[in-house]
Amino acid sequence: MDPTRQWLDQTLLEIGIASYVVAALALLAYSLFRLRVLRTVGMPLAILGCAAQFGELGARWWMTGVWPLTNLYGSLSLFSAFAVLVFLIFAFKYDLALIGGPVLAIAAIALGYATTWNEGYMPAVPALQSYWIKIHVPIVIGAYASFMVAFCVSLIYLLKSAVESHYRNRSLRGVAAAPGGERIDVRLAAYSSAQPAGMLRADTPAIDDAAAHGDGFAVWIAGLPSLARLDVMQYRIIAIGLPLLSLGIITGAMWANEAWGHYWQWDPKETAALLSWIVYAAFMHLHTRPGWRGTRTAWVSVLGFASIVFCYLGVNIWISGLHSYKM
Amino acid sequence: MATRSDLALTPRAASALRESWDDLVRLFANVGFGVSLLAVWATLTLIGVIIDQGKDAATYAAAYGPPGARLIERLDLGNIYHSAAYVGVLGLILCSMTAATFTRVIPRRIPRLGPVKIDAIPLHASVRVAGTPEEVRARVAEFFAARGWQIRKREFGGEEWTFADKNNWARRGVLVAHVGFVIIAAGTTLYWAKGYSGQFAVLSGQTATIPQTGATIALQRFSYRIDPIQTKAGVVYQPIDYVSDARVTGKDGVARDAVIRVNHPYDVDGTLVYQSTYGFAIDLRLTKDGRPVPGAPDQPLKEGEGFPIDGTSRSVQYTRFVGTIDRTTGGAGSDPRPNDPGVVLTAYDGDHSIGSVLVPLGRPLDLGAGYVLTPARYILYSGFQYGYDPGIPIVGLGAFVLLAGLCISLYFLPARLFVTVRAVEGGTEVGLAATTVKGYDVFEDRFRDIVDALRRTAPQPAAEGA
Repeated sequence: MDPTRQWLDQTLLEIGIASYVVAALALLAYSLFRLRVLRTVGMPLAILGCAAQFGELGARWWMTGVWPLTNLYGSLSLFSAFAVLVFLIFAFKYDLALIGGPVLAIAAIALGYATTWNEGYMPAVPALQSYWIKIHVPIVIGAYASFMVAFCVSLIYLLKSAVESHYRNRSLRGVAAAPGGERIDVRLAAYSSAQPAGMLRADTPAIDDAAAHGDGFAVWIAGLPSLARLDVMQYRIIAIGLPLLSLGIITGAMWANEAWGHYWQWDPKETAALLSWIVYAAFMHLHTRPGWRGTRTAWVSVLGFASIVFCYLGVNIWISGLHSYKM
Repeated sequence: MATRSDLALTPRAASALRESWDDLVRLFANVGFGVSLLAVWATLTLIGVIIDQGKDAATYAAAYGPPGARLIERLDLGNIYHSAAYVGVLGLILCSMTAATFTRVIPRRIPRLGPVKIDAIPLHASVRVAGTPEEVRARVAEFFAARGWQIRKREFGGEEWTFADKNNWARRGVLVAHVGFVIIAAGTTLYWAKGYSGQFAVLSGQTATIPQTGATIALQRFSYRIDPIQTKAGVVYQPIDYVSDARVTGKDGVARDAVIRVNHPYDVDGTLVYQSTYGFAIDLRLTKDGRPVPGAPDQPLKEGEGFPIDGTSRSVQYTRFVGTIDRTTGGAGSDPRPNDPGVVLTAYDGDHSIGSVLVPLGRPLDLGAGYVLTPARYILYSGFQYGYDPGIPIVGLGAFVLLAGLCISLYFLPARLFVTVRAVEGGTEVGLAATTVKGYDVFEDRFRDIVDALRRTAPQPAAEGA
């Protein structure tokens, strides 16, 4: 192996990991302290890390002539690069830099974990020597990455929703304990005062109320995107992931038909992908119902990502099957 | 003989039947019910992923204990994807999709034009502008048309309404996705009805027949390539290629040379033959007191095959081929290539294993009581799969339609604006409200932009409200 190329590969990998770690810390700190300088540091580093990772995958391909996604190292590496890419698109288009901390942190962990599977440069086994690997794998990894970003948005949604419930319950307890014994529906009062005529209501009135009274934590959480906005964002990101996952399953079926003689073999990986598809299809159906949109669909998104982790890593590592390419 | 009038239901019974039918359709069309079915489908699929499918009771007993194995057997969990429960859930999902499509998707996603209470819709606003209602109506229609909205005007109860639609065609996206799912189900059913598949292994120099078509495959030579690759953890022996050179004879009786390798199936009369695996068959010779024993295998055995020893309760299984015996340890080396080959043989007494041993090729193994077993030589065999699936084009079409439906329903937001114009004191008021098929939050920003633009372009803005 040419030492210069090997050096390039290693250097780009190190730049990628270092950039992600620092960007994750900066963006986590940004979400905590809302200092613009932290965002100014974190976002370019995220871009640098993402570029370095794509560069590193390209360098491996250039060095070996072997498509770099034939093992878990390559696919996890692409996963974190795609996740950061999806985050960057949404961060710039919808001003969602506040979710960058968890996304970059998971990307850094994934990339760090990937290096433990990096055994060096290996040619592909016969089953992977197909043009389909250049189509199927990036599509599926793109879907996984989108779902990871959606998962982070859902977590923030659930956090904000839980905090809203907490403040609402605290306000209600305060009213119940009032000496006059009057019962006031705090939620309705807050809605009616916060709701501009004709437009959508403020969806965290208890947090806004506590923030207006100087509660520091409430001030912080009120600065996160509104629940409605987070819900729309998780929907939009899953709307990227679900068609990609569908296309990934379809291209996988076409490849399986060419390699194994049947487009569907009930292999654990196929069925785990189907399982994830069902969960996200359920998300989409539930999202059409106003009563389910929000906290419940956010939980479905969390469940969906758990199924993705199971499909991606659990099946590859712990369950033997046609997709057990652990190296 | 019963007449038609005898069989007719009484009006009361007919009404009760219709009510029950309507209840059933409502239940199946309910999104919650559909999602519950998806949850059951997901759960059954998860069970299928976790529990190794198609294994025998002994395997399940070893993995999950006897009670677990009994449960798996009784509930058919070891064959879950072809179980009545699994097929039944898929059938119920199809029924649910059909009911939902006709009673919910079509009426709700493709609603008729009609008046609404504008103030009751969360996304609403009013804009006061100068001009007569007729002029304003014309200007509003022009405003929306210039921005790509489809304009339709209707009069209800003497009041004229303007309806502006964006991506109205995309309201059919969910319908298209559901149709795709049904097409996939039809294609899959076609395979069950008319398709077939199977697998076989052929020793070099031997011929196998595909039973459904009578096509024959004579394996002339099997070759493989395994390369030692230096990795960070040491040397790994990576399979690079394996390929079968065969002569295939189809229905026309003409023998043709065929090269069959992984990812490159060979088509014989519409049935595709795939290279799937390979192995080393072993020629085992059993003697007793130096003479051949009747009942000993007359064909080379493949891995996993065995034979009983005549007159005893014991049997011998050829468990595994070892390419290179590590002479320092006497165990299996890491190089799978047959440099210094041996075989792992396992002896059974009835169903119970009584021990395994690695025997170098050509070395006799004393089994006791005068029996001697010698693994004489290895012969490469090639494993093939074959299949014929007339449903593939239909499944492919269904997949395309499903994907198209998903993209239409996810990436194009059908939105409808309800616009009414009426004269008020000091001018004319434009009232407008927006609905989408995905709720209000998703359209909030765009609605605000539309209202702002309308205010900006109005000739004499006197905006209030909103």
